[in-house]
Amino acid sequence: MAEVKPNYTLDERGEVCPIPDVDTRKKLKEMKSGEILEVLIDYALSKERIPAGVKEIGGEVLSIEEIGPSEWRILIKKL
Amino acid sequence: MDPRLQGLLVGIIFGVLLQRGRLCFNSAIRDVKLTKDNYLMKMALLAIMVETIGFQLAAQLGWIKLNPLPFVPLAQIIGGFLFGMGMVLAGGCASGITYRVGEGYITAFVAAVFFGITAAAVRGGPLQFVNKWFGKPITTTNNPTGVYAATDGKINLTIANLLNINPWIIAIIFAIILLVVILVWKTTERKTTGLTWLWGGILVGITGIVAYISQKSYALGITGGWVNLFRTTTGNLDISKGVPYNWIGMEVLGIIIGAFIAALATKEFKLRMPKNPQTFAQVALGGILMGFGAGVAYGCNIGHILSGLPHLAISSILFTIFAVAGNWLMVWYLFERK
Repeated sequence: MAEVKPNYTLDERGEVCPIPDVDTRKKLKEMKSGEILEVLIDYALSKERIPAGVKEIGGEVLSIEEIGPSEWRILIKKL
Repeated sequence: MDPRLQGLLVGIIFGVLLQRGRLCFNSAIRDVKLTKDNYLMKMALLAIMVETIGFQLAAQLGWIKLNPLPFVPLAQIIGGFLFGMGMVLAGGCASGITYRVGEGYITAFVAAVFFGITAAAVRGGPLQFVNKWFGKPITTTNNPTGVYAATDGKINLTIANLLNINPWIIAIIFAIILLVVILVWKTTERKTTGLTWLWGGILVGITGIVAYISQKSYALGITGGWVNLFRTTTGNLDISKGVPYNWIGMEVLGIIIGAFIAALATKEFKLRMPKNPQTFAQVALGGILMGFGAGVAYGCNIGHILSGLPHLAISSILFTIFAVAGNWLMVWYLFERK
């Protein structure tokens, strides 16, 4: 996949459950169609929950990439 | 085998399952409302169902005496409600923050310390006087089929002994209701890298039964364990005189160790710190509310929800209702309010 440039970044590393999920949904709701959000997380549960949650509010997960020990970068597109 | 060693081993297994199942009752309750996600709730309901039948069977076989938690209505109403609000602020229930300590969450550690200290203060510490506000337990002398533990003939209330009918009848009805809910309620899709809700539920349920047979007096718990760890470590190092480490204290220690091993093995261990220092104050407050709530109510989400509901204990049913109400109110206040 070609490198996608995100319009926004949320660094949610270290945040307490469910802040990463809630912030991601909030941000996605504000975004325009076609824009890309990058979310950095360090908790495995968020990696499973965020993709399930964004679908509901018109988002699509483009990729989940491991960027370190227990750290991931999720790219989400607003549909 | 020394009961403390048994507690440690049961705790390690429980810790591995909590970590791999990602089972937190705060998430389970909250997600049903906040994200319409029932994945963890189904895991919890299945575990409760397995235990409902398992506890009854173990009691029938004479391996244990069922020992429901004391029914003190005001304590379970107020304690449950504060506990429910506290777990949202703390970012995890009593078991959730305990296993997350093993995953390297600094906020969970802070919440757990405030939870344990507050619960210890309420149960036999300087805050012990608050228990007077809530009154004495309401008990019965009914003991259908003789499966309940009695103190001076007094038995804590369950639906079965309140109605004085064979507890198997109530257990089977409850298990069928849970089974129907589990089968009919469509599971939220999730690409889990841990245990599925099905395996998580079954294994946690079996662990609860093993815990009961091992500890004898009760199944899994958290609050009493933290109280034991704090009290024994800080005040009674002379084991011949004071409160020695016990089964449940070792179980809580085991949960942290089990979660640590599981997180390390799956490369999910990391020391995690929030960026905003305010978060520490929030989780500390959450820990205090949970410690106070579980302290006065005779149990937390594990003591009352996971281990108490399978008894159909009146105290645990009431605690669960108010813990859910407190959780949902705080979820609304923090995340849904305009």
